[in-house]
Amino acid sequence: MSLKPKVVDFGQTWNILQETVKGVITLADVPRATWNDRFSDVYSLCVAYPEPLADRLYSETENFLDNHVTQLLDKVKLQGENGLLQAYHRAWTEYSQGINYLHQLYLYLNQQHIKKQKLTEAEIIYGTSSAASPEYQEQKEIGELGLYIWKNKMIESLKNSLVSLLLEGIHADRLGEAQRATTDVICGVIESFVRVEEYKTKGQLHLYQEIFESSFLKQSGEFYSREASELLQQSDVTRYMERVTWRLSQEELRGHKFLHITSVPKVRQCCEEKMVAAHVAWLHTEVDAMIENERRKDLSLIYPLLRPLPSGLVHLVQKFTQHITNEGLQAIGSLQGENVHTQFVESMLAVHSKYSELIKDLFKGDQAFIGALDKACSAVANHKSTPRQSARAPELLAKYCDSLLKKSAKLASESEIEEKLTRSITVFKYVDDKDIFQKFYARMLAKRLIHQQSQSMDAEEAMIDRLKQACGYEFTNKLHRMFTDMSVSSDLNTKFTASLREREGENHQFGIGFVVYVLQAGAWPLGLPPSPGPFHVPQQLEKSVQTFESFYHAQFSGRKLTWLHHLCQGELKLNYLKKPYLVTVQTYQMALLLLFEHCDSISCKEAAASLRLSYDQLVKHAISLVDCKILKKSSKGNLEEDSILTLNFDYYNKRTKFRITGALHRDAPHDTEATHRSVDDDRKLYLQAAIVRIMKSRKILRHNQLVQEVLGQSKVTFAPSIGMIKKCIENLIDKQYIERTSNSADEYSYVA
Amino acid sequence: MGDIEQDNSERADGENNKADKLFTLKKWNAVAMWSWDVECDTCAICRVQVMDACLRCQAESKKDFYEKQDCVVVWGECNHSFHYCCMSLWVKQNNRCPLCQQEWSIQRMGK
Repeated sequence: MSLKPKVVDFGQTWNILQETVKGVITLADVPRATWNDRFSDVYSLCVAYPEPLADRLYSETENFLDNHVTQLLDKVKLQGENGLLQAYHRAWTEYSQGINYLHQLYLYLNQQHIKKQKLTEAEIIYGTSSAASPEYQEQKEIGELGLYIWKNKMIESLKNSLVSLLLEGIHADRLGEAQRATTDVICGVIESFVRVEEYKTKGQLHLYQEIFESSFLKQSGEFYSREASELLQQSDVTRYMERVTWRLSQEELRGHKFLHITSVPKVRQCCEEKMVAAHVAWLHTEVDAMIENERRKDLSLIYPLLRPLPSGLVHLVQKFTQHITNEGLQAIGSLQGENVHTQFVESMLAVHSKYSELIKDLFKGDQAFIGALDKACSAVANHKSTPRQSARAPELLAKYCDSLLKKSAKLASESEIEEKLTRSITVFKYVDDKDIFQKFYARMLAKRLIHQQSQSMDAEEAMIDRLKQACGYEFTNKLHRMFTDMSVSSDLNTKFTASLREREGENHQFGIGFVVYVLQAGAWPLGLPPSPGPFHVPQQLEKSVQTFESFYHAQFSGRKLTWLHHLCQGELKLNYLKKPYLVTVQTYQMALLLLFEHCDSISCKEAAASLRLSYDQLVKHAISLVDCKILKKSSKGNLEEDSILTLNFDYYNKRTKFRITGALHRDAPHDTEATHRSVDDDRKLYLQAAIVRIMKSRKILRHNQLVQEVLGQSKVTFAPSIGMIKKCIENLIDKQYIERTSNSADEYSYVA
Repeated sequence: MGDIEQDNSERADGENNKADKLFTLKKWNAVAMWSWDVECDTCAICRVQVMDACLRCQAESKKDFYEKQDCVVVWGECNHSFHYCCMSLWVKQNNRCPLCQQEWSIQRMGK
């Protein structure tokens, strides 16, 4: 066959072509050879000589399709109301497939003739002279033309009855009365609304949305309103929510089954609106009781229902916060006894883990609820029984850590302790007054280090690292320095012993085991000795002290050493009793005992003078020795200046090695108070520094802004009261770091 | 407490000469605090306690806090003392002691 343009008789060729077109559109059997011939007929018509006959072919085809669809419409209408859906569906299935084939048969026409005429995107947007005229009718590709005709003829005339039948069908499905067969039909019909527009570049869903979706949503809304009010009358909240949840999931499935994918969220929203949002007030009243009694099932039901609503969870979250706060306060409210700290931390952790578990299980770990938990926990941790008192959490938490890190009789496994310490950080994060915690922690750490009470140095260091992670370097700076001092001291002791050995040979020892910790002033939360006067070091120790001091000064220069005798401890062996005892005592007590080497009895006054201790101090230490019966006193009652002290030669103790707890070892209540006071002082300095820093960079700032910035800076370590900030500002005005500006009473400026 | 007997036998030799004493001193765990031997415990240049690192070092030491503090103290002939870091910056501007205006020369350094 030649591809050359030739003269073609349109009438004759069209007649033949038309037969095949009919066959194709009705899905009749068209042999391959015929198909090929007709395909070339289309080609020859399009390139016919002298005039191409493409336009004529197009209009004839259009007429043909028009007639065909009209006939189909009549046939479908004949089926009456009952069979309408099925008949339409059948006709559509056949036609849509047929038109597809036909589109391919007219491939040449589509590709060469019609595509060329099509407006480009740019022309559509900017308009061209030819397209501007309103009567201009664009030719469509054959497939599109077929669908267009279908839409105009078939759908336009049947749409009302079709849609109402569809809605009935879906309603039946909701009631569970639909049959399998109708499902496919409904699905197919709805799909036809979308498919019929598939050639459009945009607004493909217009027809679907206009004729079907809107009425569908309306009908669904009505259905669910009814359903909701019926349910409300006959069931309690649990049943109601179960039902709604079920309905929602069913509707989701149904949506995927019948509808275009874009409608699924719309239906869901419509459903939620009618069944949840409309009754949200009632649900909220039910929430209170659910949370109060922690009805897990109900809570897990209500969460997905309320979540999609705008601010639907707010009430739930609020109630939840309140509930946890109450539970938490109750848990820590009635703590008593020796180990309040353990009870406190562990009950806080119990509350925390209980509710984070609950949030994970019931609320899918929703951030809003985690936030609620955090808020509640920090409210509990920072709860003050009276507004004037500070919260106890920092102290208790520090004690808790202390009890874990200390050597103790209870042999918990190392991993267990590690885990508990890690968990204690959870509580720590909720504590506002982290600086108070730090003070307590530092004091307890100091005690553990100096008295060698630490269970393990690794555990100590790990804990400091955890704190650093939570609060930053500055927070743990001093703790780290304390730690370093310990290792520096141990090096120093090794060197010291080595130097002694060098100088004096093997026989170097002063007859005692001498270990010294040299601590850096400023890093340790330690006071100076109570009477920093020239305490008379027992002669047995003098040599050690002197040798070490000269050793130290040779090692370092420009340093001075202060002996903290109240922290020193010695081990004395008592030789004068039936069996030897080893007693661990403070230096002061040791000095007092050693006086008896030279005399059998001594008065308090004399003892104080010879030790160069203040009288009060002496009495304190003497009493502790008298109380444990190592010393005897002459008079009953209190020790007076002239009370005579003697050694008790009948002393007996079951244990041969023991420690005498000095007065200073007990944590007196005024200790706690002092800690709080020193924290207060630190805070004032911190705040003043922060204010100066801020003012230096801002130059001029209003009062409220300044307060806000200060709060922002200090929140890592503590939450200052506004009153305190105000006082600090006034302080700084007095010190002329800042001044009030002349134009406004509540504005400050930085004084350079 | 059974280890005491053993402890005794170990040290028996050292005790012979002291057997007549009432007490034997076995061990002494001492605690001492060191500080710079200065007259004024704040550095007049940075206003930080000389026992703490100077302001600059505090800001920088965030990186290597495990290092021992090496922000030492320096004494001039006039006996005034400052952070070494602070003073070495100061003398670049003005080679006089900020407190007494004497010519600055280092008497000794802390170590």
